Amino acid sequence: MIDFQILLEYYNEFPFLVKLAWDFSVVLSILITILIVYLKFVRKHLRKIEVDNLKFKNEYEGLLIEYLYSEEEAVEISEPQQVILEKLKKHVPIKAKRKVIISVLYKLMNQVSGEVTDALKVVYQNTGLIHYALLRLKSKKWYVIAKGIGELTRFKIDSAEDEIKPYLTHPVREVRKEAHFYFVTLFQFEGLSFLDKLTTPLSEWDQIQMLEILQKFSDQEICDIKPWLQSKNDTVVLFALKLANLYNQYEVKDLLMDLLSHENKTIRIQAIEVLTHLYGIEAKDVLKANFNELSLEEQISFFGMLEKLVIPDDEPFIEKHLFHKNFEIQLLALKILKSINIDKYLGLNKLPSNKKSLAMLNLTDTI
Amino acid sequence: MSRKKILLAEDNSTLSLLLKFRLEKEGYELFMAVDGKEAVDIIDKHSLDLIITDIMMPFISGLEVISYIRNKLELDIPIIVFSSAGQEEMVLKAFDLGANDFMGKPFSPNELVIRVKRQLS
Amino acid sequence: MDTSSIKIILQILHYLFFGYAFAAITSYIVLSIISGIETVKYKRKNSFVNYKDILSSAMSPSITIIAPAYNESLNIVENVRSLLSNHYVNYNVVIVNDGSKDDSLEKLIKAYDLEKIDYIINEKIKTQPLREGIFKSKNPAFEKLMIVDKLNGGKADALNMGLNIAKSKYVACIDVDCLLLEDALQKMIKPFLEVTDAKVIATGGVIRIANSCEINGGKLVDVNLPKNLLVQSQILEYLRAFLLGRMAWSRLNGLLVISGAFGIFDKKIAIAVGGYDTNTVGEDMEIIVRMRRYMEEQGRKYKVSYIPDPLCWTEAPDTYKIFISQRNRWTRGTIETLKKHRKIGFNPKYGWFGLISYPYWLIFERWAPIIEAAGLVYFAILVALEELRWEYALSFLLLAYLFSVLFSIAAIYSEELTFHQYKKKGTGFKLVLLSALEPFVLHPFILYAAIKGNIDYYFNKTKKWGQMERKGFSTVQT
Repeated sequence: MIDFQILLEYYNEFPFLVKLAWDFSVVLSILITILIVYLKFVRKHLRKIEVDNLKFKNEYEGLLIEYLYSEEEAVEISEPQQVILEKLKKHVPIKAKRKVIISVLYKLMNQVSGEVTDALKVVYQNTGLIHYALLRLKSKKWYVIAKGIGELTRFKIDSAEDEIKPYLTHPVREVRKEAHFYFVTLFQFEGLSFLDKLTTPLSEWDQIQMLEILQKFSDQEICDIKPWLQSKNDTVVLFALKLANLYNQYEVKDLLMDLLSHENKTIRIQAIEVLTHLYGIEAKDVLKANFNELSLEEQISFFGMLEKLVIPDDEPFIEKHLFHKNFEIQLLALKILKSINIDKYLGLNKLPSNKKSLAMLNLTDTI
Repeated sequence: MSRKKILLAEDNSTLSLLLKFRLEKEGYELFMAVDGKEAVDIIDKHSLDLIITDIMMPFISGLEVISYIRNKLELDIPIIVFSSAGQEEMVLKAFDLGANDFMGKPFSPNELVIRVKRQLS
Repeated sequence: MDTSSIKIILQILHYLFFGYAFAAITSYIVLSIISGIETVKYKRKNSFVNYKDILSSAMSPSITIIAPAYNESLNIVENVRSLLSNHYVNYNVVIVNDGSKDDSLEKLIKAYDLEKIDYIINEKIKTQPLREGIFKSKNPAFEKLMIVDKLNGGKADALNMGLNIAKSKYVACIDVDCLLLEDALQKMIKPFLEVTDAKVIATGGVIRIANSCEINGGKLVDVNLPKNLLVQSQILEYLRAFLLGRMAWSRLNGLLVISGAFGIFDKKIAIAVGGYDTNTVGEDMEIIVRMRRYMEEQGRKYKVSYIPDPLCWTEAPDTYKIFISQRNRWTRGTIETLKKHRKIGFNPKYGWFGLISYPYWLIFERWAPIIEAAGLVYFAILVALEELRWEYALSFLLLAYLFSVLFSIAAIYSEELTFHQYKKKGTGFKLVLLSALEPFVLHPFILYAAIKGNIDYYFNKTKKWGQMERKGFSTVQT
C-alpha cells in the first residue's frame, strides 16, 4: 500500500504528456487483456462450429442418399421419404443446420441430372428451404438478397420469377448479376430479354458465366440477337458478338460488317474475329481497303483473318506488308505467304541479311 | 462369380456417396478415392475391373491417373472419366491417353450404370 | 550557441519525433479500420460466388504463369507438378531456368518427357539470350508446360523473357517454389473481369508462410504453426501487413507493392512500360510503380486490386542470416524504387498515388528505420550523459510496445474471423505469446537489416540478390 502512494505521488508530478502516456498504457493493457481472454472463446467457438458442421454434413448426406433411394413407383413421395422430409423440416429453421443442408443439396445439384435433380427440388420445396430463400429477397442488405437469388437459381425455382425481376435493375452490381443468372439459368435464351433494355454495363465475368450457363442447354434454339448487336450499351454488343461467335450466326454478318466501324475499338476488334470465324469474305475486302486507317490491334486481328481466309489474289497485299513495322504482323505475313506461294517464301530466305525483315531473320523452316 | 471391383475417384463427398450406393446396389464392390494420389495407391494394391475418375482432382489429375494405368502399368482396365462443362480439351486428352468413355457433368446416375455395365461386358 | 537555443532545438526535435510516432500509429489505426471494413465487404461479395463450377470455363481469358528458377534443383519437379495441377482451364506454365548451374533442366526433361522445340520469340523487351533453348513435353498430360533455358540475367530478366514468350492476355508472375492453391487463378483473375469502370492493371495476392505446413506433393494438406520463433514472428508480421494494411491500400487505390511471389498483370501494359527493371533488386515494387505512373500519365482510370484470400504459400527464411539478407534487399529495393520515381512524390499530376501513396511510403516506410535508429542513438547519448528522464522514456517505450501488441492481436482477430487458417489447439495461445515477443525477436533485426540496407545502398553498390537456401517443404509419406 505504501508503495502505491509513492507511485501516485510520482505520477502527479509528471508533465502532462507523460501522464497521458501512462493513462493510455493502462487503457491499452486492459484492452489487450480482455481481447486475449476473448480470443480463446472465439477460437473454441470456431472449432465447435467446424466439428458440428462436419457432423451435420455426414448426417444430412446419409439422409439425402436414403431419401433418393427410397423412391417408390407411382407415388411422388413415398412413406420413408416423407419421414425423412419431416426430419429435415425440423432442422431447417436453425440457421447453421440450414446452411449445411443447402450445401449438401448444392453439392449434388450440379453434378447429376434427370430424376435426381427433380427429387432434390422436391426436397428443397417440401422442407421449407424455399421459404427462407424468398424471405432473403426482402432483406435490406444487398448481399443477403444476392444470396437468396443465387439459391433460387440453383434450385431452379421458376415460381420466383416475378419477385426477382425487379432486381435486374438493382443499384448494386452483384445483385443485378445474380438476377441475370437467374433468368438465364431458368429461361435460357428467353431469359436474355432483359438485354433489350439494359443500361448498366455487363462485366466480362457476367458475360462469360452467362455463356457457360447457356452452353449447358445444348438443345436450345438461339433467339434473335440482331437488336443486341445494335444496342447503345457497348457491353451488350460485346455479349451479342460472343453469342454470334459461339452459335455460328451467319445471318447477322451484315450487322457485323457495320460494327467494323463502331466507335469502340474493342467492339471493332471482336467483330473482326467473329467475322473470321464466320467466313466473312466481304469483310476481308473492306478491311483490306481501309487497312492503313486501322489501329495496330485491328491490323493484327485482320492478319489473323487473312490467315484463315486468304486467296491467291491477296498475295500483293501480303507482300506489301512483309516489312510492316510490327513484328507480329511480319511473322503472320510470312506465314500466310508460305501457305499461298511457297516458292516466293523460300526465295526470301536467299535475301542478304540486311534486306531481311526482323521476322525473316528469326525464321527457321518449321514456321 | 466374384463381384466386379470398381474404383471411384471423386472429391465431391455427396456425389461419391450417391454413386457408391447406386453401384453397390447393382452388385459391384466399390473402392473410393478422393484424389489422384489415393486413386493410384488403390490401383497399386488391388486388381480392379473398372475405373471411374473425375478429371479435375488435386495433385495427380485424372489425366495422370489414366497415363499411369495405360503407360506405366500397361493395363487394359476400362476407364470412364467425368468432366465438368468446358473441359472438352481435357476430355480429348483423356481419350488420347486411353480412356474408354466419358460423362459430362451433370449426368444421370442411371446412365452411368448403363455405361458401366457396357464396359464390363 | 547557448544552452537555451540548444534546449529549444532539442524540444523541437522531441516534438517532431513524437509527432512522427503519433502520425505513424494513427495511420496504422486508420489503415486497420479500412482494411477490416474492406475485408468484410470482400467476404460478403464473394461468399456466394461459385468459383468451382463456373470459371472452369473455356471462355475465361488465357493466363501464362511465369516462374523464374535459379538453382532450384532440389524441388523443381514437385513445384512444377503443383503449378500444373491448377483448376483453371485456360492457362499454361512457363518455367524460365535462368542459367542455373545445377541439374534442374536435366531433372525436368526426365520427369516431364521434354523435347527441344523451335519457337520464335517476339523480343519486345531485351533480355539475355537462350542457352539450351525451349522445351515442351511429348506427353499430352503436360501440354501446358514450357521450359525456357537461358543465360543468367537475374529474376527481372527471366520474367521479361517470360513476358516476351507469353501469348496470353494476362501473366501471373510467381516464385517457382510458391504453392498455388487450385482456385488461385480463378480468384485472382476475377477483378480483371469484374470491374467495368476502370482498367485493372494488376492484382496482388496474399503470401502465407508454408514452413512446417504439411504439403503432400503440391497440395496443402495441413496448416501448422512452425516451432521456429523467427518464422512464427514473420507469420505475425505478414498477417499484420496483409490483413491490416494492404486491403486498405487497395481500397484507396494506393497499393504500391504486389508481392513478387505472386501477382497477375495485364501483359500488354507490363510490356508497354518496358517490363521489369533489371537494375533494381526491388523489381516487383518498381514495375507496379511504373505501371501506375504510366496509367496516370495517360489519364486513364485504373485500379490495382488485391485478393485477401490465402492463395499462395511459400517458404520464409528460418535463420537470421538469410532473414537479414532478405530484408536488406527489400530495403534497397524500396530506396531504389522511390528514388527512381521521385518525380511522383507530392505531385498532384499523379493523383492520390503521388499525393498519398508515395509520400506515405517515403515517410513511414523508407525513413522509419533511420528515424528510429536516430532515436536510439539519441537515447543512448542521454543515458551516457545521465540526462535521461526514466519516467518519460519508460512511459513512451511502454506505450509503443503496447500499441505494437495491440496491432498484432488485431491482426490475429482479423485472421480468426476471416480465413482462420491456424485451427489447431494451442496455436491461439502461441500467437498471443508471439505478439508479446515479436517486438524483441523480430523488430530489432528488421531495423538492423534496414540500416545495413541503407548503408549498402549508399556505399556498397555491388551487392545484389544474395542467396536463399532451399530446404524443401516437409512432406509426409503415406
